[in-house]
Amino acid sequence: MKTNFKHFFNLLWGMTDKEFRVRYKNTLFGFLWIVINPLLQMFVIGFIFRFFIKDPIPNYYLYLLTGLLVWNFFSLSISKTTPLIVNERTLIKKAKFPKEVLPLSVILSNFIHLLIAFALLIIPVVYIGAFNISNILSLFEGLILLITFTIGFGMLTAALDVRFRDINFFVQAMLIIWFYATPIVYSINVVPYRLMWIWRINPMTSITQLLQNFFISAPGPGIGMLISNISIIFVISIVGIIVFKSESKNFDDWV
Amino acid sequence: MKKYSSLAVKLQGVSKIYTIHHEKPTLVEKFINHKEEKFVALNDINLEIKKGEKVGIIGPNGSGKTTLLKIIAGITSPTKGKVKTWGKIISIIDLEAGFHPDLTGEQNIYLNGMILGMQRESIKDRINKIINFADIGSFIDTPLFTYSEGMKLRLGFSIAVHANPDILILDESMWAGDLEFEKKSTAKLKEFFRMKKTILVVSHWLSYIEKNCKRVLLIDEGKIIRDGSIKVINEYRKQQS
Repeated sequence: MKTNFKHFFNLLWGMTDKEFRVRYKNTLFGFLWIVINPLLQMFVIGFIFRFFIKDPIPNYYLYLLTGLLVWNFFSLSISKTTPLIVNERTLIKKAKFPKEVLPLSVILSNFIHLLIAFALLIIPVVYIGAFNISNILSLFEGLILLITFTIGFGMLTAALDVRFRDINFFVQAMLIIWFYATPIVYSINVVPYRLMWIWRINPMTSITQLLQNFFISAPGPGIGMLISNISIIFVISIVGIIVFKSESKNFDDWV
Repeated sequence: MKKYSSLAVKLQGVSKIYTIHHEKPTLVEKFINHKEEKFVALNDINLEIKKGEKVGIIGPNGSGKTTLLKIIAGITSPTKGKVKTWGKIISIIDLEAGFHPDLTGEQNIYLNGMILGMQRESIKDRINKIINFADIGSFIDTPLFTYSEGMKLRLGFSIAVHANPDILILDESMWAGDLEFEKKSTAKLKEFFRMKKTILVVSHWLSYIEKNCKRVLLIDEGKIIRDGSIKVINEYRKQQS
């Protein structure tokens, strides 16, 4: 039992390490892409949306950047884990090993990227004086919810995609809409109350708000939002893990 | 839980039923039309293999040989019945699977070894042996896409045999390499046959099984129709001609 446990983490770390090494192979900027990509997005979106936003959000560019970093982590992880089992079919057919390491290693390597980007983000937010260390609890809450939800949702879509390849297309389409249903480029204040239920069922709302709260002291999520979002995260994660566990025994039959 | 047993593999009433998908399966087909066609790959198999037995598995194409091996190796699980195995199983099925072309030979050894169930430290202990046997030489720290097919095959084989299996599963795709590789792998497998390892071989190469195995299973249409000594091979030959 103990050796199984150790082997699981050995393997998980080995696969994560692989993800890391392989990603920036033969690139000139390598690691810098963690920063360059969201910065470009920030400038483009920030420039355009300035014309549409009526109540200006304080420190808008950094507000945007925080949301984009969170969103990029989530959407990259999900769009990579969803078709993962199908893409790694040769491994599935080769040996018996805990299949969970496949999605987990992708998510973990993205998570390390996110943490590095966050560490760099501290510099400008401290510089402009928007940062307040007393919001540290929001950071931990936000990160725990983010990783839990990403793992649960990623495992669910990865497991379902093995049988129903439509899931991958569906997820791709959904991520585009989902981005605009998350308070990244705008603040939750502009959402009309009768539509608020959309944000309540979207777990990324609280997660984004918590992290915006930590980095630039933007208002955090309300208690109602937090409770409904956390309940959904909880349900999806449990369902995701159960579905993955039960489906993983027969992945070989479908790929 | 780890009670000693003289058995290596035990299958009880194992069946494997595949769903045939003629077209892309969709959510609509599954939940609304309930249209599913079944194919019985294995039908109520009962099998006991003792530790140290060398078993050859023969039968026509599509008879369920590979499915049986996959179930024993734990790659897929049976639809019905129970599977129990004692000891570490290594299947030499797809040797190059799981290699990443951008990683070096050494990094691939670690990754592949861990997928086969080895601990990091035991790979570290054996890495020189693995490299020497694979005969990779100075290529060990270059990315895998620079390797020739033969080198990749040797590396895959070397990792698998150094994983210290108790039960070794050989599939017919094993004999896909060139002459030199064949010589080398055959010699290494002979070592395994001499040791008290449990070995399962699926092959159309009947004379290989005749030479190396004591027990032969003849499988057809998902059932074990003969289970006996190598004489089964002669029966099978007659039946085929």
